[in-house]
Amino acid sequence: MLFILAAAALFSSAEIGGSNPTSNIGLTNCVAGGPAYYRFRLFTTRNVPGTGLATGSAEVSVIEGSPFSVSLSSDGSYVYDLQISLERMRIPAQGHLVAWVTTPEIDHIQRIGAFDADLTLVAPVAWNKFIVVITLEPINDPTATTWTGPIAFRGMSRSGLMHTMAGHGVFDQENCAIYGYGN
Amino acid sequence: MPSTDTATDGRTPAAKISMKCSARSVLVAAIGILIPSFLEAQQDTVREGWRMVPMDPNMPMMPGLEGAVPGVSAFLPGLGINFATIAEARPSELVTLADGDTLDITVSLVRRELQGHETVMFGYNGQYPGPMLQVPEDATVVVRVANQIEMPTTIHWHGIRLENQFDGVPGITQAAIQSGDSFTYEVYVPDAGLFWYHPHVREDVQQDLGLFGNMVVTPSEADYYGPASREVAFVLDDILMDDSGVLPWGETAPTHALMGRFGNVMMVNGETDHTLTAQTGEVIRFLMTNVANSRTFNVTFGGAPVKLLASDVGRFEREQWIESVVIGPAERYVVDVLFDQPGNFVIANTIQAVNHFRGEFYPRVDTLSVVTITDERAPSVASERFQTLRTHQTVVDEINQFRPHFGRTPDYDLETTVRVQGLNPSIVLTMEADTLFVPPMEWNDAMPMANWLSTGEQVTWILRDRRTGAENQEINWQFDQGDLVKFRIFNTPESFHPMNHPIHIHGQRFLVIALDGVQSQNLVWKDTAIVPVGSMMDVLVEMSNPGRWMLHCHIAEHLHTGMSLNFTVAEASP
Ligand SMILES: [Cu+2]
Repeated sequence: MLFILAAAALFSSAEIGGSNPTSNIGLTNCVAGGPAYYRFRLFTTRNVPGTGLATGSAEVSVIEGSPFSVSLSSDGSYVYDLQISLERMRIPAQGHLVAWVTTPEIDHIQRIGAFDADLTLVAPVAWNKFIVVITLEPINDPTATTWTGPIAFRGMSRSGLMHTMAGHGVFDQENCAIYGYGN
Repeated sequence: MPSTDTATDGRTPAAKISMKCSARSVLVAAIGILIPSFLEAQQDTVREGWRMVPMDPNMPMMPGLEGAVPGVSAFLPGLGINFATIAEARPSELVTLADGDTLDITVSLVRRELQGHETVMFGYNGQYPGPMLQVPEDATVVVRVANQIEMPTTIHWHGIRLENQFDGVPGITQAAIQSGDSFTYEVYVPDAGLFWYHPHVREDVQQDLGLFGNMVVTPSEADYYGPASREVAFVLDDILMDDSGVLPWGETAPTHALMGRFGNVMMVNGETDHTLTAQTGEVIRFLMTNVANSRTFNVTFGGAPVKLLASDVGRFEREQWIESVVIGPAERYVVDVLFDQPGNFVIANTIQAVNHFRGEFYPRVDTLSVVTITDERAPSVASERFQTLRTHQTVVDEINQFRPHFGRTPDYDLETTVRVQGLNPSIVLTMEADTLFVPPMEWNDAMPMANWLSTGEQVTWILRDRRTGAENQEINWQFDQGDLVKFRIFNTPESFHPMNHPIHIHGQRFLVIALDGVQSQNLVWKDTAIVPVGSMMDVLVEMSNPGRWMLHCHIAEHLHTGMSLNFTVAEASP
């Protein structure tokens, strides 16, 4: 801990931010903003034929027509247009690739839709933290409430990178169990 | 009643917020009390005055922060003065002014009871909020301001395109009004709408202590809005308190420099327990202003249908149904809400807050007001018309003249960022580690201790001209009256602590034409707009009003830790 704090002390006396041209957190014209900043990757499970080398990504963007700088649902969650795209894959000969979003607890699932040949989809999502799941479904049923087929891709919203300090980092000495982690 | 007027610490007055002896005498005389030797009577506001900032009991303190206090001295108003001698504040009163009328505003100490604590605050004419001024469009009113508080002050007429010399910005349009002095403003109001007034000196302290009021400029156009059963001023605010009362402010520089001072007690019109009673079927028109230092509210109306009518400088092109009102510091919105069933409707700030320790969002609902709807039924004119969404054709036609300029290349590229130095290493370490994801908006103060400890001596918030590299007060752009200027404002997600910024432009009006490349569908003239983290906002500013003006972030602590620039609009030759 002492070592870490000493390193931080060096850090804290330096300028942090944009004016240091050698810093990788400095300001350049290619800093990702908006939808690009909140973009996240989808990873293949290799469980579905034709997706072994596939990649995917999802972006969230401001809802068109919102009069405010952020659109929110009635519980204060961000409402985004979620745009999903898949690349480097063959469309399975049988079944339908269907995109879903779910909460990290998987206690709520929302069907986004089935992909067609261009392998892109757009739909609104109103969760702050969510997992995108793409499955191979035997039938294309718009009323389905959860998936039944194998998972082909999954990825987590960028908010999943929010740091948890319990039990590690500067809170090494804390017992994470008292914060609901571990046993 | 505890009296504190005998305490002394022999501090050097020069080191404190500038207060001349003569001015102090005036202040003392003005509030009608005798302090035998007021210099000795100045109560200390040094570090012993700090109390630990309130924390979520479920969050452990970061190692290395135990016992830490901000590196600036603590300030509370009216120390050394017997509470009982300070007049109790009254609720805001409506003042209707005609073209050419004169109003006197006295800025003074007031006494309020907040959450059971006797609290010394500031007030305009002894009221909270300050008097609600109602002025007809195109009028000029004279406002004589007398400063009887211990800090220099000014009044900024927010959103009003008045004559530059009356804009109230110290060091740019006037010298600050010293304690005991006065200044006369001539306020010309060319635009109808909901405006407000507040100090432009240490807003983080003075505005938080109660210096704000609305000015409603009544339109000359008949049937400007549809019918409503009543209009209600709805001034949103929060204040930071603990079991002993309000927490002191930083004396020589703001505390809470990173995220701004979020309060933990919500207020509407200065009241912590605001209520309304109405009949079934009433359409209540809420004139909403956010006067908080930093908090953006997401206001929900208990499920009642909400219709958006207007914002800062007039009406939207089209009325629109909305679920909630997202309102950043200094913004205004006018909404109609239909209460069509008896019962209680809770108006709340409904957010997904962040718990940094657990790395989670969690729902949080804070009651702002309770509307009780009685069984009696109100006349139905307003409720019937409520169902229709009107198009404001005069607004559409006017904005259409500006539309050809929407798609052009931005004239100026601005970037918002922050620089820190000398911050507690523990804070630096933790915050650096937690920047893999930064939310678009900061709805709550998720790091109360770290935020409180950061002061204006360690944090510099920055507006940077991306083409020249010039920052903050190094910038003084030159325009000509009549210019239409497109700014692109980028809130970089890659800095020590990215945060949403409500950007305010003085003396002019602007249109938000796009956010992250998504074109606005329903435009309205604005003077303040939120740029979320990572977002790129394109605004078109109509440079209609000559003078030297300011553009700044309206989070009070960001403004007073650097985040402002200037521009000059040269008067068109006749
Ligand atoms: Cu700001």
